[in-house]
Amino acid sequence: MNGWEFAAALTLSGGVGGTLWGVATGPLRRRVVAQNLSTALACPALLLLAQGYDRPSYVDLALVLALLGPVGTLVFARLLADELAEDPPRAWGVTYAAAGVGAAVVLALCVATGPSRALVKLLAVGALLIGGNVIASRALAGGFRGVRRG
Amino acid sequence: MNPRTTLLDTLRTTPLLDPRRTLPVMAELLAWWAALAVLWLVFISTVDPLELAVGAGAAAVGALAARAARRAVTGR
Amino acid sequence: MADVVIVVALLLVAAAATCAVLVRDPVRQALVLAVLGVVLAVLFTVLQAPDVALSQLAVGSALTPLLLLLTVRKVRRRARQEGRGP
Repeated sequence: MNGWEFAAALTLSGGVGGTLWGVATGPLRRRVVAQNLSTALACPALLLLAQGYDRPSYVDLALVLALLGPVGTLVFARLLADELAEDPPRAWGVTYAAAGVGAAVVLALCVATGPSRALVKLLAVGALLIGGNVIASRALAGGFRGVRRG
Repeated sequence: MNPRTTLLDTLRTTPLLDPRRTLPVMAELLAWWAALAVLWLVFISTVDPLELAVGAGAAAVGALAARAARRAVTGR
Repeated sequence: MADVVIVVALLLVAAAATCAVLVRDPVRQALVLAVLGVVLAVLFTVLQAPDVALSQLAVGSALTPLLLLLTVRKVRRRARQEGRGP
């Protein structure tokens, strides 16, 4: 067990465990935000595991999750739009905290990787992760309500 | 047909042959293709000729799809 | 000590699955199920099965919730129509 795996275990138990508590209890607005955060925090954990196991191909998992996680949240934002419009979620603090965790993990891995094609791939994963989750959070908060009708 | 119609006029009224219309389309497709090919090059683990050939083909298909999607979104 | 990540992933899967059973409303269940899919993918990765994890991610993170929510929506619409009818 090395430091990367330990960091992954910390992210999983603290981050994903916390979002699991959030998604199982409380009002609907809290649950959808927690579901979005669970993908935003599992993705850095997968990146850390790829580095910990020294298997660069495992980064593909994080890439797929960074792409499909926001898609899943957009499904909820679209199909629960009426219920969320009555009680819109406002959780920009935790959203930016999760984005910060993702950015910190990607930066640390970039430093460990050094300049190469793998570094560009890591940066692409990080951009997808942070951009996708900010867009998904905006959709949950009702930021794209005009698009739905248009 | 008007006898004064030149070959250039015929070309211009045929959408696929008009250079003023095909040039932007080709430029957009080429830009999409280049971006997608670079993405493929970054995401593969080992660079060899076969991988590059498959990537170029996939990027070409992706460029056509990306232009169609862009047109569908912007509504033109 | 080397198995800490596996233990954490197993505990998360057990907790998420228990929550998915205990939550009664289908819409909220779909949310827990989405999280369960992601956690399962992490467990498969930890057990060195990235191919299984990849397919689990593809199905579990977006497709299963979509199917569930569409079904719930259709059932509710039909129930409302029958309530309004004769």
